[in-house]
Amino acid sequence: MTTGIGDARIRVPDRINRGDLILVNAIISHPMDTGFFRTAEGKPIPAYFISSVVITYGSDEIARFDWTSGISRDPVVSFTLRADREAPLTMVWTDNKGGSYKQSVNIAFTAA
Amino acid sequence: MSMDSRNEATSPRDQLARRTFLRTCGLAVAALLGSGRLLQGERLLAWANMPGGPGDPEIPNEEVARILKSLFGNRPIRKGHVSLDMPAVAEDGRVVPVIIESDLPMRPDQHVKGVHLIVDHNPDPHLAAFHLTPAIGSVSISTRIKMKRTTWVRAIVETSTGEVWADYARVLVTLNGCG
Repeated sequence: MTTGIGDARIRVPDRINRGDLILVNAIISHPMDTGFFRTAEGKPIPAYFISSVVITYGSDEIARFDWTSGISRDPVVSFTLRADREAPLTMVWTDNKGGSYKQSVNIAFTAA
Repeated sequence: MSMDSRNEATSPRDQLARRTFLRTCGLAVAALLGSGRLLQGERLLAWANMPGGPGDPEIPNEEVARILKSLFGNRPIRKGHVSLDMPAVAEDGRVVPVIIESDLPMRPDQHVKGVHLIVDHNPDPHLAAFHLTPAIGSVSISTRIKMKRTTWVRAIVETSTGEVWADYARVLVTLNGCG
C-alpha cells in the first residue's frame, strides 16, 4: 500500500440547504507507521504519519487537527459543518516527512 | 475565577498530591507486610481512592498526569457534556472506532475550542487534538485509532470560556495495535 499515498476523498450530502448542519466524511490513503514495527528482514520501519489536518471553508480556517501515529492506517475522520454559504471546503493533510495533500469539495445549495 | 476557588479542594494537583501520599503509605504498609503483598496493597489503596462519581476513572499515570497538567493546568476536569463512544471490546487494536460528541454550544461567544483524545497506556497517550471553531456547528467527531492494550480512554473538551469537560471509556484490547 505504498502507492497512492495522499489520495483523499471528502464526502458531503448530495442535497444541502442553506443553514443545514451537514456531516463531512474524509479519508486519506496513508500508512501511518508508528516507528515501532520492523520489516520481515528486521529493518525498523521509520515513523511516517499524518501529523496535521487543516480545514478551511471559503477563506476561513474552521478546524485544525493535530494527530499522532496513533490514528489508524488510511485515516478517516468525520465532523459537522454549518453550511451557511456556498464556498469550497478544503482539507490539507500534512505528514511528518513534509508531504502535503489537498482535497476540496464545493458546498453548493440545492436549487429551490 | 470564583468557580475555580469553589473547586479548589478537588483540583487535579490536590488529587495528585493526595494520591502520591496514599501510594507512598501503601508502599510503606506493603513493605511491612512483606514484598509479596506490595502490589496488592498498592492496588487496594488505589481502588479505595477512586472517586465514586465524577472525575478520573483511574489514577492517571505519570505521563498522562503531565499531559493533563500541560493542557489544563489546575482547572478541574469534570465529567459531563461529552460522550465518548467506543466498543467495550476491541478485537483489533489497529482499528478501534471512536465517536466524540458534546452538547456544549458552538456559538461565537461560547464554544468548544479543543477536543483531546488521550489513551492512557499507549506509547504516545495524547493521541489527537481537534481544534474547533463555531463554524462546524456541533461537536461530533469520529475517527479510528490504534490501541496497544486494555486501558481507559479519555475524551476531554475545553471551552472558549475555560471550562474542561470529559468522558471516559474502558476498552478491552485483545490484539496489540501499536507493535
